[in-house]
Amino acid sequence: MAALLIGLSLVVVTSRSVFRSAIALTAALGVVAGLFALLGADFVAAGQLLIYVGGIMIIMLFAIMFSHRPAVGLDRQTNDQWLWGALFALAVACGLIVQFRAVYRGVFSTTVSMPTTISIGRLLLGDMVVPFEAISLVLLAALVGAVYFGMDYEERL
Amino acid sequence: MTLSLHHFLMLSAILFGIGIYGVLSRRNILGILMSIELMFNAANINLIAFNHFLYPNQVWGQGFVIFVMTLAAAEAVVGLSLVLAIYRNIKSVYTEKLNILHG
Repeated sequence: MAALLIGLSLVVVTSRSVFRSAIALTAALGVVAGLFALLGADFVAAGQLLIYVGGIMIIMLFAIMFSHRPAVGLDRQTNDQWLWGALFALAVACGLIVQFRAVYRGVFSTTVSMPTTISIGRLLLGDMVVPFEAISLVLLAALVGAVYFGMDYEERL
Repeated sequence: MTLSLHHFLMLSAILFGIGIYGVLSRRNILGILMSIELMFNAANINLIAFNHFLYPNQVWGQGFVIFVMTLAAAEAVVGLSLVLAIYRNIKSVYTEKLNILHG
């Protein structure tokens, strides 16, 4: 599962065709949902499938099809800084791996996973109710902003 | 071999590194957005893994993951509408063509 996830995300960042990397990203997000289910987070796994795979990726595929001329589908997709970018990413990943190995080695799970939907509902409308309302405002602002940027210049107020 | 916490953390570190490489090396704005989604997912794997291994009787980590997913959805919607507006204006989705502020 981990090898599948890493391979798919490498396809996402290295593929020449944007459409192909979007499809690979869809599959990678599905694998991440499988990891969530493996870690006992059933509600979040279902939400990952619904929101990411069903929602965000559909929007992204629409944007790709709107903004792409078919003839230029196989341009070179990396800029001139790709070597330094790869070195920096490698440094960050190695630092994180070394730290995680040193600190969290040998922490095992001891409990059996239970369904989490009831407790997440109580948490969202109990202790987390203020960020829950704040994020609804953020979503409203994002919708209004998306509509505003989607309009033509002449239609704007 | 049973899975320990640091296996999941190492996987998410590798995923985060791949996302950083994508953000730094892509020419296409849509590719950069997709790499940002990869980095969000690396952070989400971290939150779920910490919740599962360290605090198995609470769901705060999963609540945070729901918030992160919502913010990622908002970010993707605004980003993609910006991409469409940019494409209407300069007929390109490549970042080096975005130099209209370049005096």
